[in-house]
Amino acid sequence: MVARSSRESWKEAAGVGAQAKALIERVSPLVRADAEAWENALAHLEAASPEAGEEQDRELEEKLEGAAAVPVAIAEAAADAAFLAELAADRGDGTYRADAAVAAVLAAAAARAACHLVAVNLGVREDDPRLTRARACVDAAANAAARALDAAT
Amino acid sequence: MKGVTSTLTDSQLVQRCRAGDPDAWNELVERFSRYVYAICIQGFRLREQDAEDVFQEVFTRVYSRLDTLRDDAAVRPWIAQLTRRLCLDTLASSARVQPSEEVQALDREQTLEEIDEAFSVREAMTSLSESCQEVLDRFFARDESYRTISAELEIPAGTIASRISRCLVQLRERLEGRKDESGPSRE
Repeated sequence: MVARSSRESWKEAAGVGAQAKALIERVSPLVRADAEAWENALAHLEAASPEAGEEQDRELEEKLEGAAAVPVAIAEAAADAAFLAELAADRGDGTYRADAAVAAVLAAAAARAACHLVAVNLGVREDDPRLTRARACVDAAANAAARALDAAT
Repeated sequence: MKGVTSTLTDSQLVQRCRAGDPDAWNELVERFSRYVYAICIQGFRLREQDAEDVFQEVFTRVYSRLDTLRDDAAVRPWIAQLTRRLCLDTLASSARVQPSEEVQALDREQTLEEIDEAFSVREAMTSLSESCQEVLDRFFARDESYRTISAELEIPAGTIASRISRCLVQLRERLEGRKDESGPSRE
């Protein structure tokens, strides 16, 4: 919205809008995939018997792996959205800069939520590179949101 | 490595073809082969074998009838027109025309427009700097995040969104330039 409203005063606004649209298209299927992957893993977890063999354990690990991969992708997209919103808060039309800053803050929150889903996944250890990656996205998004708020003040 | 002919405009390429330059003919086929295939497969849903037949026939006719093309810059719409006609002939001869022909024709028109637009964008992309092509391809075609692009190209993640926007501005200018230049086929 900020990019659309800034076309008169900001030459690159349309490009920012195109990137925002691409991010929306990228994230929308991930939301459904996240729910499906988690339900799938949960069903396997509930069906696992105490006497489960190695094969069943391996299957469960695979399901949990799948459930962790999607929120990592969501965290990355959320960090991208925060960067994009920061740009709009910095260069967009003055009337709408506060909206862009709010968008950056919301994107940072989404990155944090997605990272939390990675962290609580039973298949993810503390030193797992996926968790490291998700945390880096949280930091990047939080920094972008802070800069966006500064720019819009 | 790409040859000199790959940097030529459509119009310049046609002129070289007319002059009998074999490299120019190779470049012409390479430049438009994906376009012709896309029309056959996505636009007309031809079978692989039929698409190959149409493909060969299209370029045979381009080769033999290039002198009838009056506007060299209009080679693409001319090739599109040739391909469409041959696709329709193929469908008619194999009696694969379905009862819901009108609906299919509408879908087909939309698909063909999308193919045409995609090809124009692809063509305009080649006129951008390599760094612009790379960053646009990574973000829009490969769905890479700014973070991944930043790591791969060794540029700060915070500047990528801005770079992409600048490249898109250039791309739009090139596309608008092309629209102004190109006209309808005057075969």
